[in-house]
Amino acid sequence: MVRRMLTGNAAAAWGARLAQVEYVPAFPITPQTEIIESLATWFADGTLSGKFVTMDSEHSMVTAAGAAAATGVRTFTATSSQGLVYAMEALYTVSGWRVPFVLVNVSRGLSSPITLGPDHNDVLAARDAGFIQIHVETCQEVLDSVLMAFRIAEDVRVSLPTLVNLDGFFLSFTREPVEIPDAKLVQEFLPAFHPQHPVFSGSQSLAQGVAVLDGATYSYFRYQMHRALENALEVHEEVAEAFSRLFGRRYRALEEYGMADAEIVLVMAGSFATKGKAAVNRWREQGRKVGLLRLRMLRPQPAADIARSLIGRKAVGVIDQNISPGLGGILYQEVSGALASAGERVPVMRSFIGGLGGKDISQGEFDWVLEALDGAKPSDGPVPCQLLFTDAEYEQVRMALSIAGKSQGGTAS
Amino acid sequence: MRFHGRGGHGIKTASRIVGTAAFLAGYEVQDSPIYGAERRGAPVTAFTRIASSAILERGVITQPDLIICGDETLLESPASGVLNGVEQAAALFINTRNLEAIRAQGKLHVRMVALDITQRTSDRIGKASALSVGLGAAAARLSGLISCEQLGEGVRTELEELGLDAPMIEKNLLLAQEVYAELETVTVEPRKFSATAVIHKMGYDHVLLGTPSILAPGNAEARQTGAWRVERPEIDYDSCTRCGLCFVHCPDGAIALDEQGYPVIDYDHCKGCLICLEQCPRHSIRSKKEVRSW
Repeated sequence: MVRRMLTGNAAAAWGARLAQVEYVPAFPITPQTEIIESLATWFADGTLSGKFVTMDSEHSMVTAAGAAAATGVRTFTATSSQGLVYAMEALYTVSGWRVPFVLVNVSRGLSSPITLGPDHNDVLAARDAGFIQIHVETCQEVLDSVLMAFRIAEDVRVSLPTLVNLDGFFLSFTREPVEIPDAKLVQEFLPAFHPQHPVFSGSQSLAQGVAVLDGATYSYFRYQMHRALENALEVHEEVAEAFSRLFGRRYRALEEYGMADAEIVLVMAGSFATKGKAAVNRWREQGRKVGLLRLRMLRPQPAADIARSLIGRKAVGVIDQNISPGLGGILYQEVSGALASAGERVPVMRSFIGGLGGKDISQGEFDWVLEALDGAKPSDGPVPCQLLFTDAEYEQVRMALSIAGKSQGGTAS
Repeated sequence: MRFHGRGGHGIKTASRIVGTAAFLAGYEVQDSPIYGAERRGAPVTAFTRIASSAILERGVITQPDLIICGDETLLESPASGVLNGVEQAAALFINTRNLEAIRAQGKLHVRMVALDITQRTSDRIGKASALSVGLGAAAARLSGLISCEQLGEGVRTELEELGLDAPMIEKNLLLAQEVYAELETVTVEPRKFSATAVIHKMGYDHVLLGTPSILAPGNAEARQTGAWRVERPEIDYDSCTRCGLCFVHCPDGAIALDEQGYPVIDYDHCKGCLICLEQCPRHSIRSKKEVRSW
């Protein structure tokens, strides 16, 4: 075991390296490219054996990943943002093949307008594609989650591709101390992939990507995929336990921070949860009962655990780093749905949108959110989602608009 | 701590040298650079956070304890953000030989520390623009958290990762020791966070405003890319033959011809690529390092 400074991108590449991946189809996109650059180096110098193939697009890349996984080869690939949505058709296709591989997505806001900063609209666009989704907070968790993702994906109760999501810049280009696990221990945790069911091979007749033209057969296979994803919750628990025994770090589908006696709860996903934890600590220093629930596993949704964690709290604020235009925060809807299906409600549920395109959520903004939750009453009636965006930021944008030749009232200036 | 410089100066590496040194000294560390879709010469910022317990922050540092400025010309450019949060900083370090001139302007109310890192880098390793080790050493010393030996380990680790050969690493280690020895630690006081943010209630703006389109033609002119310049081309009009090759080859259209046909450089937009200097058949264009003080 070595502990050293690694970026999130380097941690992702190390995860694939320790998993001894045998096939990596690749296509570059900022802020992901460093992952495939590292892997290309290791395939070239013999550290990894197998094939590293540069593709013509993410659409081909994900198809190739699925096809390779269908031969029983351990496969890894990575993309971001426009790349992920360009591959959207292939995401649905390969998950339908029920083939296990790991896809790392480095979150970046979607066009238009073009940006490089992170938010979760890219990865959440893929939430219904039949991939398991794990959203990580730290560089250590990137590496650990890639290893866990292979074991979950390859479990015969699941047999599905797994997506590990990390935030661009805030993790991808940020170095933190990361423990690189001992390769022998990793082999114990994640032995070579030997599928128990028939795969593409020279001696085995097998057809994939078949058509079913009746609804009943289609329904059967789609619902089987749903069941497989549901199984992934239990498999994740087992895998997390096994990981913890070997490496000492225990991950859960949901991370609870300061939740034991919390009356006000922030719900977040991804690396910005780190900032939320700082806000929790500051409020706790003042004797305020505040906690944070981090959604680590987005698919399958640990609905019962979400409900169990939130029932009995006075106020819950979901901070979505995404926006579904015309609806609001996606995770707010998912958390509300989890509570509703448990037949429970929290007196105050509020939706906040923050960190779009990597905009900072300052501690001052967290204070505003917590004060809003503290002062909210069930009788307030329906409250729309609130964008975390300051007066000063609005002034900056207006200045940029005037340089672009636009003035108040919508006329050219 | 927050580092400022230009693409090509080694600003990211400077932040990593301090980061790795602090990590090796047993601290929790986080370091990261931020840059846009720009290039060599454009302003670059990097951040290093050092703590004795888990770091619960991410991204940009708006309230730095230490600001390390690798290029004094950035002090003039509000867009570079060098002075953001300077009022509460424990110190602003400037790579300059003109500290007295900067002080005489009376614009900055912060403890200022200066050393001519460019000169020392040039003397030790023969390359004036490779500022990473000098700036990293300055930050390490000012912070008071890192010993000279730990700094050396940070320098060695990072430069080996970049593939530098052993003699070059040795020269850089001497440079790091020299800078470390010439500076003193500054006291950093713990500070409070700023007040609750004022959240904007955003309504619907007219579609013309609320759409990412640009109406004003040629507004790229407002972006003064001349600030990216590290080297400044200067034309010797006594030997210029008005051949016009510099005008033709300038990739940014930053050279115009005047009424007599002489080339005129638009220094607000010349990025200092020096293609004009390479093209000039009479060697009538020379380059000068940009040094501007307040």
